[in-house]
Amino acid sequence: MKLTVSRRALFLSTAVLSLAVTVSGLPTIALAADGTIKLGLVAPMSGPNARYGAFSMHGAELAVKDINDAGGIDGMKIELLNADSQGTPVEGVSAARRLIDQDGVDFIIGDVSSSVTLAIQPVAEDAEVLLLNAASSNPKITYQAGVGGFKWTYRNYPTDENRALIVAKYAAEQRGFTKFAVLSVDSDYGRSAITFTKKYLPDFKGEILSEDYYKEGEVDFRSVLAKIRDNGAQAIIMYGLADTTPIIARQMIELGIAGKVALIGNGEFNTEKTIKSAPSALEGAVEAAAWLPQFDSPESKAFVEKFTATYNEAPNNHAYVHWDTVNLLAAAIKQAGSADKVKVRDALSKIKYKSPVGEVTFDDHNQARLPMILLQIENGKPSIKGAYTADIQYPAN
Amino acid sequence: MLSTIVEQSVNGIVTGSVYAIVAVGMTMIFGVLRAINFAHGEYYMLGTFGAWFSIDYLGLSYEASIVVGVLATIAVAYVVGQLVMRRMVGAPAESGVLATLGIALILQNTIILVFGGGYKFFAGGYIEPVSILGFSLAQQRILILVVCLLVFIGLELMVSYTRLGMAMRAVSQNVECCSVVGIDVPQVVLRTFMLGAALAALSGVLTAPVNVSVYGGMGELITFKTLPIIIMGGLGNVRGTFVAAMILGVAESLVATYVGLQFRDTVGFATLILMLMWRPHGLFSTQARF
Repeated sequence: MKLTVSRRALFLSTAVLSLAVTVSGLPTIALAADGTIKLGLVAPMSGPNARYGAFSMHGAELAVKDINDAGGIDGMKIELLNADSQGTPVEGVSAARRLIDQDGVDFIIGDVSSSVTLAIQPVAEDAEVLLLNAASSNPKITYQAGVGGFKWTYRNYPTDENRALIVAKYAAEQRGFTKFAVLSVDSDYGRSAITFTKKYLPDFKGEILSEDYYKEGEVDFRSVLAKIRDNGAQAIIMYGLADTTPIIARQMIELGIAGKVALIGNGEFNTEKTIKSAPSALEGAVEAAAWLPQFDSPESKAFVEKFTATYNEAPNNHAYVHWDTVNLLAAAIKQAGSADKVKVRDALSKIKYKSPVGEVTFDDHNQARLPMILLQIENGKPSIKGAYTADIQYPAN
Repeated sequence: MLSTIVEQSVNGIVTGSVYAIVAVGMTMIFGVLRAINFAHGEYYMLGTFGAWFSIDYLGLSYEASIVVGVLATIAVAYVVGQLVMRRMVGAPAESGVLATLGIALILQNTIILVFGGGYKFFAGGYIEPVSILGFSLAQQRILILVVCLLVFIGLELMVSYTRLGMAMRAVSQNVECCSVVGIDVPQVVLRTFMLGAALAALSGVLTAPVNVSVYGGMGELITFKTLPIIIMGGLGNVRGTFVAAMILGVAESLVATYVGLQFRDTVGFATLILMLMWRPHGLFSTQARF
């Protein structure tokens, strides 16, 4: 009995002691944290969009490392914390909450998926945390930001409306397509891109013959592709997921429509891996992107070189936009002269940031004015067809 | 019009073949254990990963990768069978649900930890199309069909004529009597389980070339596609499973064509609900047995 009691006492005192050490350790940590800027990254690190998440993380990491190695922003270092959204709104919201409540971040970059970004906007707004979106393209995100409502959301990425217009125009004017089939991902991104395509197609005498949406993880597209083969569409408008593109392209080969029906839209048609998976199906594919590794500017080339050297892999669009957005945030902090989130937000509204694709300024909906780059796959290689800008028509409030 | 229906039905039969090979394993495991194996899709995933690994890392041919994928899965199934499944003979149904769900999580997350959560590109297989009576079908899909038929003929022969097959039928009918007459029930359960996992893996490796992408979570959807099939087929019924898989495959294909791709997955779940309401013992059985 006595032994048990003393054992318990020993156990208790150890517990108290270890707790005391932890507590006494706290001020030191807080002291060390003083002068660091905590930046959260919400991205899909697992699930069907994990590849996007990995690229986003690497892009952001690279920018943070460069900034810190150069002595930080006015001596303040950036600490990057990441939280996995799994590409779903529910997980995205809890990831954002974790960053805000537990890690105490003032700045969040995220998410890749529009559905997730739309879900975490109100969370950031409630907590008054600056949410910088780097890769979601649903127009609603900035329809409802700035003068539209949310004061803490900014977006450094072109919207689906720009993209839809640019792609429709190119397909009609340069390729002479008038008959289209839709095969897009069933998400806020895929659906809204098609809504805007429909808004502009009549201007180019284009018509949509069939409309299908696929769930993430879908692997059998033969029924839809057979329908497209029979309805005589000249092109498939696809706003989809990078990982699904090779599956669709391969099944196009199976059905004998590879090379006869073109893929247009956006879904990483231009990466080496995708082209290699089904070269004949991707020949002639047209894609509009915010940025491409082939983009010709010295800063952009330097980024591609550095990224490839660091991660043994060429960067994609998501790596670039996250890298660029960290730099944009750093520029805003520098301009504000402080990491105070209100001052940084005001600085961001007035910023004239020089990005590799051109000067970035924000409109009254906190939306960056950015060009889009259009490319076409020719002889198994992406070839750039020019950069286009299109102004967004905001709906009346 | 008619040709579209025929073509889509052929597509559906190929999809059904994939489901059939996976589902028959699950239904047999149910037969001997009276437990739904919620980790069944994970063996499908493991087979695919084994094959992908042997092509990408070991540089083996696609044919060799089928063998590696299936053998690797059998090895995992042996370990899981020894540690978990054997002990579930006569255990309450809840413990089977919990144990297999746990195994599903462990297998899935181990793969994600080791290989990462992203999609991998599966490089093997025969995707060139063949034209038959005006329809084009990939060689790989013809292979899937042929293998499916062989598997079912083999299983029919096995359950009718081999010692293991007869023991499996006996165990599925009455566990106590089997123990009394000296059948090693845990051993039968273990072997049935390994056979089921091997079939799931085989199906995964055969499908990988047409599905192109390989990722840790790919088994989940398969598990949930097999549930309506084994219930429609009558739990534990091999022939019923075959017919049910074909019905579901064709129905999905026609729905994707005429209603919309986004409604494809609802077919299975609607079937599941209807079956549970109308004929919980399946279309082809009056009771769950072989």
